[in-house]
Amino acid sequence: MSRNTSVTRVDVSSVAQAQRVPVHLMPCEIEHEGPAHVSEYLTATTKDCKLEKTVSFRGRGLKGQELSCPQGYTGLVLKDINEPSSDQEDRLLRVSSVFDKLTYWNLETPPNSDDAVVMAMDWPELAQAIHGPVED
Amino acid sequence: MATKKKRTPNAHTSSRVVIAADSAIDTQKHDSDPAFVRLRNPATDATSLYMLSGGDLQLFEVKAFEEDFHSWFIGQTVQRDGRLLFVTPMDPLYLILPYLIKSGKEGKFQPVDQVVMDDEFPACSRLLSCTRSLASLHHITEEKEVGTQRFHRYSQERTMNWLKKKVERTVSVLKARNISVGERVKSTTYITMKSESDYRDEDYLRYAHGLVSEYLSQHLSKDLLTHLQLPELKSPKETEPPSKKRKLTDKPVEAEEDYTKFNSAEFARKPPKKMTAAQKSLAKGDKTGMKTMSSFFSPKVKAEKK
Amino acid sequence: MDLSPFETDNSLSCRLTSEIPDVCRTEDCCLGIDEAGRGPVLGPMVYGICFCPVSKKQELKESKVADSKTLTEAERENLFQKLDEARSYVGWALQILSPNTISTSMLQRTKYNLNALSHDTAIGLVQYALDSGVQLKEVFVDTVGPAEKYEEKLSKLFPGIDVTVRPKADSLFPVVSAASICAKVARDRIVKGWAFTEDLGEVDTDYGSGYPNDPKTKAWLLKYLDPVFGYPQFVRFSWSTARTLMDSKGVTVHWEDDDEDGEKSAQRQNNKSMLAYFSAGGNEQKPAQQTHRFFSERRLKSLAAL
Repeated sequence: MSRNTSVTRVDVSSVAQAQRVPVHLMPCEIEHEGPAHVSEYLTATTKDCKLEKTVSFRGRGLKGQELSCPQGYTGLVLKDINEPSSDQEDRLLRVSSVFDKLTYWNLETPPNSDDAVVMAMDWPELAQAIHGPVED
Repeated sequence: MATKKKRTPNAHTSSRVVIAADSAIDTQKHDSDPAFVRLRNPATDATSLYMLSGGDLQLFEVKAFEEDFHSWFIGQTVQRDGRLLFVTPMDPLYLILPYLIKSGKEGKFQPVDQVVMDDEFPACSRLLSCTRSLASLHHITEEKEVGTQRFHRYSQERTMNWLKKKVERTVSVLKARNISVGERVKSTTYITMKSESDYRDEDYLRYAHGLVSEYLSQHLSKDLLTHLQLPELKSPKETEPPSKKRKLTDKPVEAEEDYTKFNSAEFARKPPKKMTAAQKSLAKGDKTGMKTMSSFFSPKVKAEKK
Repeated sequence: MDLSPFETDNSLSCRLTSEIPDVCRTEDCCLGIDEAGRGPVLGPMVYGICFCPVSKKQELKESKVADSKTLTEAERENLFQKLDEARSYVGWALQILSPNTISTSMLQRTKYNLNALSHDTAIGLVQYALDSGVQLKEVFVDTVGPAEKYEEKLSKLFPGIDVTVRPKADSLFPVVSAASICAKVARDRIVKGWAFTEDLGEVDTDYGSGYPNDPKTKAWLLKYLDPVFGYPQFVRFSWSTARTLMDSKGVTVHWEDDDEDGEKSAQRQNNKSMLAYFSAGGNEQKPAQQTHRFFSERRLKSLAAL
C-alpha cells in the first residue's frame, strides 16, 4: 500500500500545557536544531524604534517587526512525540508551544507591507472567501 | 575572511511552526484528535497534505510559507526549517468534485459513498463525514431519494453556478482587502501605471477565477472561465508590445561619501539595496500576472477573440 | 571626557567633543587626526582630532605630547589631563565606531571596508571642525595606507587647507600626538568599562590587549564563543580571528548573499523561486499547472508531506 495510508495525529489536549513563547523568523539558515541563548543575546540586544526593531546577529544588521496571527488563528509549534522511524509509520504530534504574534527579521531592509510574510497573512481571509459555505 | 561552508541538506526537523484556525484545535468539541491526511489534489492530481478535525467533521488545507535562507528561534531553541504552515478551513466539495465528475460520465445516479473512493488515497472517503459535505452536495449534483437512500449525479450547471458564487465572494474580499490584482507596481521610484482604484471588474474577476482554479482541474477551470463570460487570453509574449516593457534597471544612487551620516546615531544606516516590488514581480516571470498586464496594454485582445 | 553619550547605547557610533576654544574661531589653526584601536578584534575603533592655533604649536610641543603607543596608560591619562587644562586653546573631537558598527558595516550586503570607513570618519571630523568655525589652515593625518592618494583626496575635499598625510605622523607632529592621546584614552576607558548589553551575567574582563595574537584575547574569545550567536556585540564579527573560531566551533549560518553581492543574490533568489513555484505542490511531473501569483507572491505552496 502507498504511504498515503499513514496517519499523523495531533494531540490537541497538549495545547493546555503548551507554553506561550516568543518566536523569531530569521533571515538566514542556521544549521542547527536545539537549545540557543535567544533571550540572552537576541532579546537583550533588540532595540525598539518607532517603525521597526533592530538587532544584529552574527555581525549582520537586521530590521524587523512584530506580526500578529490573523483573527481566529493561533500559532502552534508541533513536535513529534516519538521520532518517526519511517515514512510509513503513524505519527503523533503534540503542541509544544503556542504564540499569537511572531517577530520577523529582514537582512538590513526595513520591514514593510511588501514583505512576503506580511502578505502571506492575507491568506486566511482569502481562504475564507474561497472555502466558506455558499448560500443557496 | 574565512571560507564559506556549503549548505548541507536538512534531513531532520523535529518541529513545525503552524498558524492554524482555532477550529482545527478546538479541544472542547471533539473526543478524537485532528490528523494530517494525504489526499488527491483536485488541480494537480498529485498528493497534497490536508487536515481533518476530530471526528472528520471539518476539512483544512495546509499551505507552507517558505523563503530560502530562513530559520526559526522558538523560545530558547533554534529550528533550522524556516517554513510557516497555514492550516485554513477548506470546502470539502472541491476534493469530492473530481470523483463525482468521473462517475458522472456514466450518467447514473449513485450513492456518493460508492463514488468517493480512491485506492491510492483511502482517506478520501472520510471527506463524506465532514458536516458540510452531504449538506452541500446539492451545489454540485442532482439528488434523488429512494426510500432512505440518497443518490447523486454530477451536474455541470449546478457546479458552475456554485463556483460562480465562490468567485464573486472572492472578488468582494479582494476588493475589501485592497489586494493588488494588477501587476504589482507599488513603488515610490516608479510611476504607478495603474492605481488600485483603476482596476476594472474584469481584473478582479480574472484574479478570483485564478484563485478558485487552484482547486479545479484545468478543464473545469476553462469551463468556469466561459461561464463567467471571460474570454481566454493569449500568451503574454504574443500580445505585449515590446516597446512598452518597463525598464529593469533602478540602481539606487548612492553618494560615494556622505559625511552627514556620521553626525548622528543613525550612522549605521545605509540605503538598503532591495529590488523594487515592480522589479521583483518582473524578475519572477509570473505569467499569470502578465496576462493582466498585456490586457491592459492591448485591449484589442478581447475583440479579436469574438 | 564624558563617555555617557556613547555608553547609553554602545552598539551605535557616537561623537564626543570638547568645547571649541574661542581663539580657534579667530586664529589660523592646525589640526591632527589619528585613530586608536584599528587592529583589535574587541571594542570600538576611536577616531580623534585635536586642534589649536598655529601660534600655539610650540606650547603644545612643550607639553611633551608624544605618540600614544610609546606611552603607558598612566602617562596617556596624565597627558590628556594636560590637554584638558589647555582647553582655552586646545580643542578635540572623537568619533567612536562601536564594534557593532564595524561588524555590520564591513559585513553589509554592499560591503563597506575598514579603509573607506576610516576615511569617511576622518573626513566627517574635519568637516565638523570647519562647521564649528575652527579656522583650519593645516591638517596633519596619520595613515596606515598609501599616503599620497589619501592626501590628494583630502586636499581636493578641503581646498585652501594644507593637508599632510604621513605614516607615523603621530610621532612627527605634536598635534597628531595629541589627537592620538585623546583617541587612545577614550578607547581604553570604553574597553575597560564595557557594559555588555547581552544578558551574560558576570563577564570575565581579562581580555588582554584585544589584539588577535594576544593569548589572553584568544583565551577570552574561546571562552565566550556561543555556538549559535557567536559573540556579544563587543567583538568585531568581521575580524578573521572571530570568524575562524565561529566557523570551527560554532553552528554554520548561511545568508542569501553569502559569497556574492546583493544584486546577484536577489536575482538568484528570484530565479530559484520561479522554478520552485512552478513546480509546487510536490508535483514535478506536471509543470503545466502553475501556482496562481497570489500564492507565489506570498511564497505559499502546497505540501505533499509534513
